[in-house]
Amino acid sequence: MKVRKSMQEILEDLKVSESVKRNIVHWHTIEEKEALTKDMPEDLSEILRSALERRGISRLYTHQKSSYEQIMKGQSIVAVTPTASGKTLCYNLPVLQSIINDPNARALYMFPTKALAQDQKSEINELIQEAELAINSYTYDGDTPSNIRQKVRRAGHIVITNPDMLHSAILPHHTKWVSLFENLKYVVIDELHIYRGVFGSHVANVIRRLKRICNYYGSDPVFVCTSATIANPLELAEGLTEKEMVLIDNNGAPSGRKHFLFYNPPVVNIPLNVRRSATLETRKLAGEFLKNKIQTIVFARSRVRVEILLTYLQELVKHKLGPKAIRGYRGGYLPTERREIEKGLRSGDIYGVVSTNALELGVDIGQLQVCIMNGYPGTIASAWQQAGRAGRRHGESVVIMVASSSPLDQYVIQNPDYFFNRSPETARINPDNLIILIDHIKCASYELPFKKGETFGAAEIEEILEYLTEERILHQNGDKWYWMNDAFPAHNISLRSASQENVVIIDQSDVANVRVIGEMDTFSAMTLLHEEAIYLHQGIQFQVEKLDWEEKKAFVREVDVDYFTDANLAVQLSVLEEDKHRGNEDTEIGFGDVSVRAMATIFKKIRFETHENIGSGPIFLPEEELHTSSAWISLNKELSEFGDDRLEEGLIGTSQALKHIAPLFVMCDPSDVHVVPQVKAAHNEKPTIFFYDRYPGGIGLSEKIYSGLEEILSQTKQMVKNCQCAEGCPSCIGTDTTSIHSKKDVVKILDLFLKAAM
Amino acid sequence: MSLKNKLNRLKPHISSGREKPEGKPLKKAEETPEIPFREVWEQEKVSPFYFDGQYCLVREVNYPLDHQHGDYQFGDLLEAVSLWNREKTLHPLSAAGHGPGDLIFFDTETTGLGGGAGNTIFLLGHASISGSSLNLKQHILPGPGSEVALYQSFLENVDYTTLVTYNGKAFDWPQVKTRHTLVRDHVPKLPAYGHFDLYHAARRMWKHKIERMKLSIVEQEVLGLERKDDIPGFLAPMIYFDFLERKNPEGLLGVIKHNETDILSLVTLYTHLSFQLLGRDQSRSAKETFEVGRWFSYLGESGKAKQTFSGLLNAGNEEEISAKHALAFEHKRQKEWGEAVSLWKECTEKGSAIQRLEASIELAKHYEHREKNLEIALRYCRLAENIHKDNHRSTKKDMKLTVELEKRLKRISRKQFPGQAQDSSN
Repeated sequence: MKVRKSMQEILEDLKVSESVKRNIVHWHTIEEKEALTKDMPEDLSEILRSALERRGISRLYTHQKSSYEQIMKGQSIVAVTPTASGKTLCYNLPVLQSIINDPNARALYMFPTKALAQDQKSEINELIQEAELAINSYTYDGDTPSNIRQKVRRAGHIVITNPDMLHSAILPHHTKWVSLFENLKYVVIDELHIYRGVFGSHVANVIRRLKRICNYYGSDPVFVCTSATIANPLELAEGLTEKEMVLIDNNGAPSGRKHFLFYNPPVVNIPLNVRRSATLETRKLAGEFLKNKIQTIVFARSRVRVEILLTYLQELVKHKLGPKAIRGYRGGYLPTERREIEKGLRSGDIYGVVSTNALELGVDIGQLQVCIMNGYPGTIASAWQQAGRAGRRHGESVVIMVASSSPLDQYVIQNPDYFFNRSPETARINPDNLIILIDHIKCASYELPFKKGETFGAAEIEEILEYLTEERILHQNGDKWYWMNDAFPAHNISLRSASQENVVIIDQSDVANVRVIGEMDTFSAMTLLHEEAIYLHQGIQFQVEKLDWEEKKAFVREVDVDYFTDANLAVQLSVLEEDKHRGNEDTEIGFGDVSVRAMATIFKKIRFETHENIGSGPIFLPEEELHTSSAWISLNKELSEFGDDRLEEGLIGTSQALKHIAPLFVMCDPSDVHVVPQVKAAHNEKPTIFFYDRYPGGIGLSEKIYSGLEEILSQTKQMVKNCQCAEGCPSCIGTDTTSIHSKKDVVKILDLFLKAAM
Repeated sequence: MSLKNKLNRLKPHISSGREKPEGKPLKKAEETPEIPFREVWEQEKVSPFYFDGQYCLVREVNYPLDHQHGDYQFGDLLEAVSLWNREKTLHPLSAAGHGPGDLIFFDTETTGLGGGAGNTIFLLGHASISGSSLNLKQHILPGPGSEVALYQSFLENVDYTTLVTYNGKAFDWPQVKTRHTLVRDHVPKLPAYGHFDLYHAARRMWKHKIERMKLSIVEQEVLGLERKDDIPGFLAPMIYFDFLERKNPEGLLGVIKHNETDILSLVTLYTHLSFQLLGRDQSRSAKETFEVGRWFSYLGESGKAKQTFSGLLNAGNEEEISAKHALAFEHKRQKEWGEAVSLWKECTEKGSAIQRLEASIELAKHYEHREKNLEIALRYCRLAENIHKDNHRSTKKDMKLTVELEKRLKRISRKQFPGQAQDSSN
């Protein structure tokens, strides 16, 4: 009879087995760490102290203690805490203690999703019950029944909500929340790192509105933020709340020894650089652990991948563990089902879970032994979040990242240093983006009139108020501006996008269950959602059957075809104004405002693998114009060695490569930054590559690219050079180029840029 | 790039709140406490109310009690109130315990729809009987900076025993509370109040003939009133914005007139509703009588309900059978089985499908449980089943009823023929 293997034995096998060993391109071990604890705070009430003791907590980790001390002093903080380090106590303890000290005190908790809010409510309520305190904590979101809403408004000590709800339901109705705003002592912002980019810029403005209303009712809350590891938690927290913060990063939670393995599936087709499927490799690896009853979490990048892997794994261990022992977990499951899975994981009844990044956020599932990522999750920060799911406080754990053949995955897996040594991504927000700012000035005026001389957070707004007055949205009377419009502004403003008009993508594969699967800005939709386009959504192919441009709806149906579509976008990009400029005699790098006018012309159908063109068709869509910010780099030197064609192809290939790398450096979705080459740019008649923010007005991505261009160029060069293909492949410079020189030319051009830019 | 330039470039991306209306550029706000167009205002019986360095405008009009508004005179309200006081019926519209002067007919005009802190009330109007006349007062906001004066003027003038509104429970009063919160440190507290909301009453009484229960439509269909040159309510915000820019009361006077008509109609509507409910209205239609009965029945006022339904027993129209059906249930409530059963029997023959169905189920119950006459019970149960089959739609409710009927049928058969009842329902 076969004996069950321990995790150590499986690890040994991985090191020895020929078929596995050569695929492990990097083996990184993180040594164990002892707990660092401190005594309970002196001023902690006996009720809380003994309640905690009954729950097995008699000492605090160092970061919990520091948070408590700072917060009780009235200092706003941001605590950076890895997964499962007891971050909730960082805020729950001081908040509860403050309410014990003053039963009138109120706290507002903000979580990015409803599910997290629910979790936190249960957690804090358990502690409140244990301590037998008369403290009310409620969630307030779209699911809150109307009959208890009134009670929440009047008597909730702790109101747990999300930014969207704060924006559209609480702030515009602040007069119904007088007792909250008059006594608001704490605002807790959990999962701070989620608030970046457009979403973060919106939320920063929601917080400006919140602070404005607090000020009106005479309160000045302390802000408590917690964040996963990112490069700039303090900067982000201060940018988001416009409060002076103290950074707490003396994590005292213990951790066991952890092995971090980079696994690259073998190449099966060398000239085309095609690798074996990451999903199949993930199945093999996860199966090995699960068969031996070792608790394992598998992260997949899409809901469909979750389902596929789940089917594989359940099949694999059906006879050993029974199907209920391995579960899927993703958005779209019912809350009760999710709770049940979380509980099963904590108790150990469930051995395996396959999840989307839904389990990356702070849901409590205890600590598992093994984490396998099916593909690089996209950012360093989220990779560490996922990796944090494995790791018992005592004993060893394993994290395996299985790379797919996408350029990003391949770049990361071939550059372990990049992953382990580089600080994680910087989260950027730009609350002063005009589009976003104006939206929130409208909402803020609706909430309370603006006074002359008043600022909105750090923003100067008098000109905007005058503009809105001219537009007959505000009315100036004496030294105040009043909302004078019959609209309810918050209803038309979504926090999760910058431009109001997005194309909604509707999946009608299942006639009985037509559903919205996503949305896309109009600008990108022209080339990705035109009729007959093959649209990839989380790895599944859909064909666009109808694009209703007036109504901004794209109707798609799931298909299984062996080609993809590629649309030609005639882009005219002109520089409106140059705000920043640097460079030398060989090159110039600029940053400023640009106008991008784009019109989709035709699309091609291109077969996978062979890349032959197997058909084409016209696209009939109107021209779109976008004003945004952009960074660009131009070559001053004549490139006489290249002919015009080769120069153009070289620039196209270079842009393709840059497109993959740039998002890594600015921590954004790849579609947030566009890269456009021009052989002869209109403003300086030089070969130029433009990077521009996809959102009107820009959200600060190009600016970041402007200041870090050298690094992006050199990393891009490395990626192209390291790619194993011979003449360029979709993993590096793309397939728009046909010449056999392309790859060499791209490296040359990058060299030229680099040499000049240094 | 200057901010203004940027703003203009980005204009297509910024949703404007509304179309930019034609008009002159905005004038700077008035600095002087002068009241623009004072003579126009004065002609309209409007005078300023000063408070705390601000002012609001107050329009005051008195109507004699014999003034006719629609089918009633304002003086008829006195009779309505005294009728309620005599009746002592429990009814949400009952004015028992109140004098006619305690009723405050109240309506507002706002700059937007729906609740929210930014929706400003620019007109608060109310009317009540005072001595030998109906006194109407309207408090008008001359500009957004004058709300303290507005609420001061409103609050020091009114004694809110009971408000009478049209949808004021859901809209006007919550909005008054919202805006009051913003000036609450400067003006008196909002008092507690009683509330008669006539919107809900109107829906109960006339939803069979009026689809959109707007006050102006109720006036036309029920109160014998035709508005002339009325400004539709949805234009009020635009007109007010225009007034803020031009200060000329011309357009706003139309809104003030509209508000006045609304309030006066509330007096007529309350009188009419009271007369209908208390049977004082001779011209009450059979359908209306039936609705009155249903309302009393809903309130548990069985005596009043029976009395009302009984009035329809020989009406010889389609309400007759409905009234009998409803009356049967009133009898059931009071365990007057004989009367109930004979009415139900009539309903199983002459009623609408639903009435026949309900009546036969009631009869089946009655004969099964009280009379213990299983044969008749079974007959009514089968009848119910047949009626249900003919009118069955696949709604959840209908499916549930099918199951219930089947169960009942089985149970009765089992009782009747113990031992062989299993498949008798098929």
